[in-house]
Amino acid sequence: MKLVLFSGGGDGENLDLDRAFVEVLNKRNPVVTFIPSSSYLSEQEFKVFVKHYSKYRISRFIHFPIDVPFDRIMFTEVMRSDAIHLAGGNTFYFLRSLRRAKLLNELRRFVERGGVLTGLSAGAILMTSDIDMAGYPDFDRDENSVGLKNLSSLGLVDFAFFPHFRNSTRYDTVFKKYSKVKKKLIYACPDGAGIVINGPELRFIGKTFAFSEGHKFVIN
Amino acid sequence: MGQAKKNTIDEIGKRTYTSFARINGDHPFKSQVPGGCVEYKARHRRGGKVAFFNFDLAKEMGLLPKSHPAQLNPELEREILETFSLVIINEYDVMNNVKVTEEDVYPKTFMATRYLQLQHPDKSGRTSGDGRSIWNGTVRANGITWDISSCGTGATKLSPACNINKKFYQTGDPSISYGCGLSEVSEGLETLFFSEVLNKNKLRTERILAIIEHEKGLGINVRANPNLMRPSHFFGHLKQGNHATLKQVADYYINRQLENKAWPLANFRNDKDKYFSLAREVARSFSEAAARFEDEYIFCWLDWDGDNILMDGGIIDYGSIRQFGLFHAEYRYDDVQRFSTTILEQKQKAKYIVQCFVQIADFLTTGKKRSLSSFRNHALLGFFDHHFNECKDRNLLQKIGFRKEQQELLLKGNRSHVAKFRKAFTYFERAKSKRGLYKVADGVTRDAVFCMRDILREFPQLYLTRQALLPAEDFIEVIRSSYARRSDLRLTPIRCKQIARFQDTYLALVGALARVTGTDRKHLLLELTMRASIINKYDRVTGDSISFIVQKVQKVRPKLPPQELFELTRQFTTYQNLNPDQKRAQDTVPGRHRNILQNFYSIVRDCREGI
Repeated sequence: MKLVLFSGGGDGENLDLDRAFVEVLNKRNPVVTFIPSSSYLSEQEFKVFVKHYSKYRISRFIHFPIDVPFDRIMFTEVMRSDAIHLAGGNTFYFLRSLRRAKLLNELRRFVERGGVLTGLSAGAILMTSDIDMAGYPDFDRDENSVGLKNLSSLGLVDFAFFPHFRNSTRYDTVFKKYSKVKKKLIYACPDGAGIVINGPELRFIGKTFAFSEGHKFVIN
Repeated sequence: MGQAKKNTIDEIGKRTYTSFARINGDHPFKSQVPGGCVEYKARHRRGGKVAFFNFDLAKEMGLLPKSHPAQLNPELEREILETFSLVIINEYDVMNNVKVTEEDVYPKTFMATRYLQLQHPDKSGRTSGDGRSIWNGTVRANGITWDISSCGTGATKLSPACNINKKFYQTGDPSISYGCGLSEVSEGLETLFFSEVLNKNKLRTERILAIIEHEKGLGINVRANPNLMRPSHFFGHLKQGNHATLKQVADYYINRQLENKAWPLANFRNDKDKYFSLAREVARSFSEAAARFEDEYIFCWLDWDGDNILMDGGIIDYGSIRQFGLFHAEYRYDDVQRFSTTILEQKQKAKYIVQCFVQIADFLTTGKKRSLSSFRNHALLGFFDHHFNECKDRNLLQKIGFRKEQQELLLKGNRSHVAKFRKAFTYFERAKSKRGLYKVADGVTRDAVFCMRDILREFPQLYLTRQALLPAEDFIEVIRSSYARRSDLRLTPIRCKQIARFQDTYLALVGALARVTGTDRKHLLLELTMRASIINKYDRVTGDSISFIVQKVQKVRPKLPPQELFELTRQFTTYQNLNPDQKRAQDTVPGRHRNILQNFYSIVRDCREGI
């Protein structure tokens, strides 16, 4: 299984994670698919994404919005690509769109076949078993404007992921409590940090924090 | 009503929004073309509410300072209502001594302009013109003079009803619809959404400055443009052989264009030079507009009276304007007495308008009105055809995703490649369904079967990914529209040949540009991938989608203050901005309106291939 979970951040902030992604990809002239969380202005995001990864000599990209109908030809090509990137945005809307397009199982199969799945912020949360973290904590959450009830997601990893983390008492208090009550391991990453999974190897890039059974740990 | 309109000069300096005080009925057309308009006294119409105000446009027009927040305060609302909530005192009112409170009467008159309209029995423009509109005046800012006119301000004697039934109507007379002189808020909203999207995409158009709401869904729709003159403003006087007034109209129009720097500054050698320059400008504008309409699938009913279009090819009167999702080349609007032109017939009508302007130029120069047919081989019509084709090529290269300078290079050195691709492109674009012609709610149509936006968006991605041409079956799968039946998609030998030709000529264009610029072909394709995904966005607005969106807006509008409607419009037009070089706008819509916008987007998606 090859996964890269990005927390977020600007162009230059994810240099190490990007390098790790290219390393995991390990292919000349790969095809990378960009799946936006919503088609709204996603063409602009795609442009930014392409410009960014062109620096890594990647020149074959597919833009694949999933909240609009797509044709079989594009879909086949997406599933044949070497990497799929799940972009940031509203996690609830994104999950609903993936489910409606019947893509959750397809993405699982893509990962099983050896494809690299990357996700940024919402896209990274989607790789976990549910998107609880998108609605948590109260003071820093996505709005569930689509009224999504079934929050179960791709379930590719056995931890929860919290992006855009700020190292403060406020966050510490809520995550300690959450990890204790829900009995879940949370990895919380500030922008520029993330997690790389390459087969059995799990690597943390940048400063990462873990919350488990009511305790906080600093990784890296 | 305040006294602003009565003592304009006194008020300037005492009020925050002084520019509004200048919009008081004064308009240079009145004095420069006295025979071109009918003047009406007007009174303030009470009970109005501002339903919409275009803060961005108002800033462009100098009515608001650039720093003004997009918020309607009581003083601004009062200004807007005092300036625009008016109704004319028409012939019926005068003849029937309808009582008017003196303090409600505006000190200056407002004009309704005369122009040719084919629905009038007279058919020579003696009785036709603004039937339910008046011109509020002009404002000047940043070197541009803007015309402002309002629709729904009362029944004038220039309406078709007045002349067909030979009587003056009371404003609001329920026995007639269009002729009653009023308009509906929904008409203004349709114009608003449509025109703002088209304006964002660099199409010339009238724009909505404000919508004033009165009871029962009625309203006044205030529109603005740097020059609201139409060809029909000329054609009436041409038909009548009225040299003096026609000359005044032409001089007035030319002066405004020069004043606004819409034309390059010109020192005309003589009258002939001046009036043929006018005809040439019309030929240039109308060939550009006709090509753009065809390529953007805009249905604008051009006809011999030149009533539905501005002099620079801009769109005015959105009543019958549509944008199709596909090239539905046989759609005709049913206007009860007759059917409209089709999208492909627009070019000939545009050319006919140019021919009329050649006739006008000749008439104004020689003083003799020669028959229109004697100009059918005039050089300017050749120029029209040439420029039309050039625009078609340019538009197609733009749709593919080439940047301006790349377009120039291809047009300069590789014209034959462009022509070959256009031929292949047109083959698919104009393919029609075997279903044939059938009736729709407002006319007749025959379906197009292929969606060219889809193939232009996906082809560079698929080619880059596969590094091979698409097999015919895959090509058809990508390009097919929801209108296509199985029989429409049959892979005949000719079609297979065209599929190969489409891809070969597309790649030949890319290859030619790569050679000229010394760029890697893959990089060019990648650039086209990015740009084409914006230009050929999956969900582009159509006429039907605008109608449904306006219905939604009407439902939520009682709880939607004008500034929020403005924000919604702004967000919607940003989403429909297909300029690949645009900067992404900030999301400023309040959370509670996200659902409304989501609703709009899904309407656009559902209607994306329709009419």
